Amino acid sequence: MLPMLVADRLSKRYGARLAVDEVSFAVEAGEVMGLLGPNGSGKTTVLRLLTGYLHPSSGTARIAGFDVVEAGLAVRRYVGYVPEDVPLYSHMRVDEFLVFMGRLKGLVGRPLRDEVASVCHRLHLSDVRSTAIGKLSRGYRQRVAIAQALLNNPPLLLLDEPTNGLDPRQIIEMRDLIRALAATHTILVTSHILSEIEKIAHRVAILLDGRLRGVHTLGGHAAEPRLRLTIRGLPQAGVQACLRTVPEVTDVTVVGVVNGECAEYLVQGHGVHVAESLVATLVAHGFGVREIRPERADLETLFLQLTRTEAPACASS
Amino acid sequence: MRILLTLLGKETKALFSSSIAYVVIAVFLLLMGYAFTAFLFLNRAATLVHIFFQAAVLFLLIVPVLTMRQFAEERKTGTLELLLTAAVREINLVLAKFLACMVVNAVMLVLSLTYALVLQAYGKPDWGPIYSGYLGLALFTASLVALGLPISALTTNQIVAATIALGLFLGLWMIDALGSLLPYPFDNIVVSVSLLAHFTPFATGAIYVSDVGFFVSFILLGLFLGVRALTRR
Repeated sequence: MLPMLVADRLSKRYGARLAVDEVSFAVEAGEVMGLLGPNGSGKTTVLRLLTGYLHPSSGTARIAGFDVVEAGLAVRRYVGYVPEDVPLYSHMRVDEFLVFMGRLKGLVGRPLRDEVASVCHRLHLSDVRSTAIGKLSRGYRQRVAIAQALLNNPPLLLLDEPTNGLDPRQIIEMRDLIRALAATHTILVTSHILSEIEKIAHRVAILLDGRLRGVHTLGGHAAEPRLRLTIRGLPQAGVQACLRTVPEVTDVTVVGVVNGECAEYLVQGHGVHVAESLVATLVAHGFGVREIRPERADLETLFLQLTRTEAPACASS
Repeated sequence: MRILLTLLGKETKALFSSSIAYVVIAVFLLLMGYAFTAFLFLNRAATLVHIFFQAAVLFLLIVPVLTMRQFAEERKTGTLELLLTAAVREINLVLAKFLACMVVNAVMLVLSLTYALVLQAYGKPDWGPIYSGYLGLALFTASLVALGLPISALTTNQIVAATIALGLFLGLWMIDALGSLLPYPFDNIVVSVSLLAHFTPFATGAIYVSDVGFFVSFILLGLFLGVRALTRR
């Protein structure tokens, strides 16, 4: 099956500045993918290229098999887009705005009315349907922006910093909403907040200075678990040699000393039984195992690893 | 067509739901009423020739106020992004804004017909120059709107858009004065792009195909530039 979205060496140049530099990634149907990067890293430009609002300087992007430049209008029927900063017509009422956007998306008559009622119900906007958008809170405005994106039920949603400017309660609500939408839509969501992406996305693409630094599966490290072992006694080569005798182990590093009497080791291995094998081997060789716990390579660790060499660039951006 | 009508409805409502349209119409009618009354009592002639020139000059000043916000505001608030990513063709957007501005202009022109009716009630005006004058004003204002839109599409600052449009309109209005200072064939070239030179025959009761063609070409060029300004992304 074709991926829902494919970006192939997508670049965008503004004069001498290269805002997006040969970015390539794919989003499978039904997937929630995060596009993570600090402010100014090119996330919004990538989304604008994918929606056809900006034309790439080079490279291509395809949505549902259609080229976003050559078949721009066809592509837009597959995409629901929520731009950053939630641009809406403040003078319009919520239902008036949704009817207007619905008509632009080709809905008329009863299907239009039903669709507007449906998205209002789904996004809990029914109580504010007659309210002018300019009088709504940021959280409600964000919901209205998502509601217009859902009109005509596009299979792909592009959400640009959807939790920006929301208070903690609204952020939790927005996160729940995105999770609920993920059941029926493919979603590409951008954020500069690591923890937000981690809680929402299946995979994350990390963007720095317009370049893609990697695409990583979140929570997908079970096949190569990292284990933190606390062994009685100071660090010794014998323990490391013993650990390396376990066939599933691929790497061992000494982390340090704990409480002056134990040593901590970080063990990289593969296979689901590596922990059992490690403990059995250590005990068989007479080493006292005080603690063994999996260490999850979270997004922050990944992000720091990827950006370690880019620290000056990140600081300036 | 349905999308064009939806956009036209939204644009027209935006103009009339704010005070812009009402202020523009009120100021236009106030100044036109003053000019009409003064001219009528001073000259006691049942003609609107001077009124047509007065209206043309007022439109030079008013149209930048109408067009300055059209794209500049949408671009600044980000709603242009919302529209252009919702399967709206650029031409529909340009046409909707053009027609919405023309609705305001049409209201002003229709209300100014009362001057012709006053002349008809108290005198015997020649209706030929009145018809041609209104046709000329319609083409003239449409040209100004069509040219003001691409200027608005190139900036996010409404004041900048209005100032550039005003400067361009006044320049094109008065440029024929420069013609007398230039040698052949430059004098003809300059006069051929003058708005005043092409509007004068309409105001005085003469309709030439060349003048109609000039204004129609001007409108099409403006609309084309408006679309180009939006597609340049």
